[in-house]
Amino acid sequence: MRKIKKQKIYLLALLLPFIIFVIGFEIGPLVAMIKNSFYADDGITVTINQYITIFKSKFYLSGIKNSLIISLVSAVISVTVAVIAAYSFTKFSSKIQNRLLMIANMTSNFEGIPLSFSYIILLGNNGLFTLLFAQLGWDLFADFNLYSWTGLILVYVYFQIPLAVMLIYPSYQGIKKQWKEASSLLGGSKASFWFRIGIPVLLPSIVGTFTILFANAMGAYATAYALVGSNYNLMSLQIASLVASDVTLKPQLGSALGVLLASTMILAMWFNERMMRRIRRDLR
Amino acid sequence: MSYVTIDQVTKSYDNQVVLENISLTLKKGEFATLLGQSGCGKSTLLRSIAGLEGVNVGSILIDGKDITNLSPRQREVGMVFQSYALFPNMNVFDNIAYGLKMKKVKNIKSRVNKMIELVDLIGKEESYPHQLSGGQQQRVALARALVMEPKVLLLDEPLSALDAKIRKSLQKELKRIQKELDITTIFVTHDQEEAMTMSDRIFVMNKGKVVQSGAPSEIYTTPANTFVAKFIGNYNVYSMEVFHKLVRSSELKGDEVAIRPEVLQLVSPGEDCPDLQENWGIKGVIKDVTMTGNVLRYEVEADDSYFHVDYLHHRGLMFEQGSRVQIIVPKKECIVL
Ligand SMILES: Nc1ncnc2c1ncn2[C@@H]1O[C@H](COP(=O)(O)OP(=O)(O)OP(=O)(O)O)[C@@H](O)[C@H]1O
Ligand SMILES: [Mg+2]
Repeated sequence: MRKIKKQKIYLLALLLPFIIFVIGFEIGPLVAMIKNSFYADDGITVTINQYITIFKSKFYLSGIKNSLIISLVSAVISVTVAVIAAYSFTKFSSKIQNRLLMIANMTSNFEGIPLSFSYIILLGNNGLFTLLFAQLGWDLFADFNLYSWTGLILVYVYFQIPLAVMLIYPSYQGIKKQWKEASSLLGGSKASFWFRIGIPVLLPSIVGTFTILFANAMGAYATAYALVGSNYNLMSLQIASLVASDVTLKPQLGSALGVLLASTMILAMWFNERMMRRIRRDLR
Repeated sequence: MSYVTIDQVTKSYDNQVVLENISLTLKKGEFATLLGQSGCGKSTLLRSIAGLEGVNVGSILIDGKDITNLSPRQREVGMVFQSYALFPNMNVFDNIAYGLKMKKVKNIKSRVNKMIELVDLIGKEESYPHQLSGGQQQRVALARALVMEPKVLLLDEPLSALDAKIRKSLQKELKRIQKELDITTIFVTHDQEEAMTMSDRIFVMNKGKVVQSGAPSEIYTTPANTFVAKFIGNYNVYSMEVFHKLVRSSELKGDEVAIRPEVLQLVSPGEDCPDLQENWGIKGVIKDVTMTGNVLRYEVEADDSYFHVDYLHHRGLMFEQGSRVQIIVPKKECIVL
């Protein structure tokens, strides 16, 4: 009995760095942010005015809307592409599969300012390809503007796809060959297998990945900042300018926006989870 | 008139021949078993019949129709896998209904419910596979195949993942259902006891070939070769030369002699060997006694050869380890191979 207790203490001691980390870098800032959001600009008066300001301001509301749209669109595109890409990965030999995963791993880490600059150099107004295509007389890209919504979504999708592939790929291993065989012996086509068994089995992983991508896009800051500066109205850029700009520092308002940002992520997670349970009723 | 015909089927995986010129026929309603050691090609043959594997040479006919080149969905065969392969996202009812939905037939509900009753799963319709025991999952897999009313039912070691007791009861139940529906069945196992109790006919396979076929009793009492003798009946097998020395007689002619362990008798060396016209007596020493449930097995050494002698347990232990004995070998039970 005493021995078990002692062992438990050792194990807890080993967990300590992790607990300190979580409290110091995650729970602490979260609590501080929530607390801050209920103070007036003076930092003394307790109020909910910060939230009222946000919901009354066209500027902030459009920022929220823009962030939601770009995150949803880029997450939907990336998940769709990744489901297909990860499936085609499984058709290669295991040696090639490993290589492909390595590439996905590397490219998924390629984001932020370096990624934006790469895109600017290749596809910006004076970008390599832009000029090349102009020289060749191809007007395919004449209407393309990197510093626009399309450009922004393109860049987001670029760093989201490899991440999505890596997250979805392992769940394909969970699809048993014998389910396909049983389905075909029972008269099912390939399409009906995927529609009725394959996709539902992958669904938890697809939904989980979607949530991660959505959060990833909602919070993405450096990529957007480097590409469109403060020309575009995104939640993450607004928060940054409220807590770190040199003109108007309004950390309380920034905190309130931050709380809303976190709420959308939690809401998305909850919603996704619910939708999934409706289809996968076997999961409790 | 044969219902299933497999005609000179050969199959190889990159240079390794897995099925070699296999021919066999089944009558309608017959329960046939493919019996053989691991890796002898049982599953491959079954999967070839199902259309999950193609064959290189030969043809497969069911009910007079050549199905060799048809896809699995066109063959009208049902299959139950060793791992059950139930769809994890569907409950019992939906698993069983899947094939009927694919076929877009009417009265799915009543057909599924009839099957659920047949395999004794009433009340479990809403359960998901992970909420069922292994035996229950196997019944669902069986019902899922049977509800399609296939012409042939294929079972690939369907009971081998279950513990002995459930296995025994499912064997009986499987047999009952098979008889009730009068469905032609091909069953795969590497357990000879299971094959004996269930089958109308057994096909013994070895290294991609069918080495003997026949009714269980026929295979048991008259093995066609050494492999079958050893694999099916735990026969004692001796080369003729050795056997001649043991019995001090060269009455038998042939390559090898096979003797079932339960036809041998042990007597004390002092006792006379009964009826020397019909038996041989061999002197030996008890090396080991093992008990497998109701059977006592004596291992007797005689002139560097070993004999297994089986007795029903009810007599109790007659000879201790190390005692000298005489083995009585009935002449007419010696099978020359
Ligand atoms: N897809 C495959 N590729 C290459 N070789 C295979 C393949 N499937 C089976 N084999 C080989 O074919 C032989 C027969 O395999 P099979 O699965 O039919 O044996 P089995 O009699 O069912 O054995 P077990 O009792 O272990 O299930 C084995 O030697 C196996 O290695
Ligand atoms: Mg097998």
